[in-house]
Amino acid sequence: MMEPLSQHPSRDFLDQFARGQLSGAAQKRVLRHLFEGCEECRSRLAGKWETRPEAVGEAAESDGYDEVFDRVVESVVAQEPSIAEERAAGHQLFDELMRHPTAHQLLLVHNSPRFRNRFLCERLLEASHEAGFREPDRAIELAGIAVEVSGALAVDACGTADLLRGLRARAWAQYGNALRISSDHAGADRAFHEAERILKSGWTPPLDRARILDLQASLRRDQRRFAEAAHALDRVIAVYQELGQWNMLGRALKQKSMICGEAGDTESEIALLRRALDLLDPQEEPRTFLAARHNLILALNDTGRSREAFVLLFHTRPLYLKLGDRMNLLRLRWVEGSVALGLGRTEQAATAFKEVRDAFIELGVDYDAALVSLDLAAAYILQGRTAEVRDLAAEMMAVFQARNINREALAALLFFRRTAEVEQAGLDVVRRVSEFLKKVRNDPALQFEVPS
Amino acid sequence: MSALDNPQAEVPFEQILKSVRPRLKAMFVQYRIPPQDTEDILQQALLALLYQRQGIRDPEAWLLGTLKNKCRLYWRDQRRKLYETVDAAVLDYMAEPLAPAQEGTDIMHDLASALERLPERCRSLLWMRYRHGYEPPEVAAHLGYSPASISKITTRCLAALTRQLMVGGLSSKKTVQ
Repeated sequence: MMEPLSQHPSRDFLDQFARGQLSGAAQKRVLRHLFEGCEECRSRLAGKWETRPEAVGEAAESDGYDEVFDRVVESVVAQEPSIAEERAAGHQLFDELMRHPTAHQLLLVHNSPRFRNRFLCERLLEASHEAGFREPDRAIELAGIAVEVSGALAVDACGTADLLRGLRARAWAQYGNALRISSDHAGADRAFHEAERILKSGWTPPLDRARILDLQASLRRDQRRFAEAAHALDRVIAVYQELGQWNMLGRALKQKSMICGEAGDTESEIALLRRALDLLDPQEEPRTFLAARHNLILALNDTGRSREAFVLLFHTRPLYLKLGDRMNLLRLRWVEGSVALGLGRTEQAATAFKEVRDAFIELGVDYDAALVSLDLAAAYILQGRTAEVRDLAAEMMAVFQARNINREALAALLFFRRTAEVEQAGLDVVRRVSEFLKKVRNDPALQFEVPS
Repeated sequence: MSALDNPQAEVPFEQILKSVRPRLKAMFVQYRIPPQDTEDILQQALLALLYQRQGIRDPEAWLLGTLKNKCRLYWRDQRRKLYETVDAAVLDYMAEPLAPAQEGTDIMHDLASALERLPERCRSLLWMRYRHGYEPPEVAAHLGYSPASISKITTRCLAALTRQLMVGGLSSKKTVQ
């Protein structure tokens, strides 16, 4: 039968016990020794327990690290050229893949081992993200190919199992994000579930986790699950803070500000946007910086600080012009109209809104066209031009009925037209319909309730 | 992210490592990671940096943050191993049919007094595990926990028992001379 230890186990023996490296019998002897209440051995093991740096009792020795560093650095640096080659090859494979017809691309990566390249997958994820702004269907296809590539990769192609896990989870998350953009929330949920399953299977680089949570927060926001979205972003913010990635932290704060804005907490939205703008670099990230400034101008204007919004708009105008694409110029004109309306310059506002509305209708940007039309209606209402409000409402119905716009959005516009016809469309009606259109855009299942 | 939002001003990898090395070493010392265990941690973090370099703005800060995360996980894993060891040893004791009466009684007594000091839910859970030999799904069914959460709850209770063993002290306190 097992004997209890008659003397203290050695330090090595205790170490091995703590690591679960002893045989069953030896383990039990140590446990028995501890059960007997040996203070000295318990405190030795307790030292292993208290791992917070500030809780370190005994002086830690720094010997022995240099040798490890030299060895590891030499080994990793030696891999740098081959990783650079792989990266270049991945980018070439992407170009080659994109020359094939869309229908063949997935088949090609499935069948040909040549396409099992980590950097090809990274490039596909980037391309899917970019396509999300212009061609949502293409974003889904590209993310689907990235899922296929990441699933076929071996650990060797990724450096470590952690990196492979991170890449696979990101591919699924990007796929989920692309589905979210296309309003397929159920599909997006399934994709994020898969990403989470992969994440739970082991350690993943914190940056990968943060990116996934960031995308998941966007889905939760679109699903109007604001608390979950904010919680996910808090985790993202903590990771970026710990990793000292201030630009990414700026973006995450901007994301969180959007959630606060949609949840109706405009003061928090403004505070977060100000923090984000302190961290974002307008030279290096002009689009993100501009989007944050744009949102801040609107939030200030919405909370009655139109004077402040006007000053900020004045200083931001050069950036809108510098980026210069049509959508940004239209957003500039729209925000100019909104600030003018906030300042009571209704004629100036109406002119701007009309220009933007015509352009959006021409471009087929239906929801924004409807929203800016409602802003125009608000300007007319403030001017007491009820006949113009009625004409505008009729015109809006005619345009949007011809398009494939969401049924409930049409119901909201119909309600607006009916109230305008009987000259009952006040600012409250405009605000109500406008709020509904903003929500139904992300949540097509939402139903418009006609007020009694 | 658009091309406009993707600035790159690459500092040579070796230069980054040279510059950050003293701080990485200080972190290992601070977290008391034994030198022989730093090799894997360092290798994985550096490789991750090399592979993900293009998406990282400040590689030094990234490396320090990632390594800090890995150091914490290292100790979490070590603690988990310790819980598993304690758990396995207690289960082994309980499984021994021929333990001398005195020894068996002592162990049961010591275990009972350790469990007495734990929160009620851990007491019930561990008692069912050690005394009645229930597996986690059975414990979950008896105590009304969801099967999905029982593993986490068991780990927390094992942590509490181990902490009791290592830090809190047991009923009899003596020092082996």
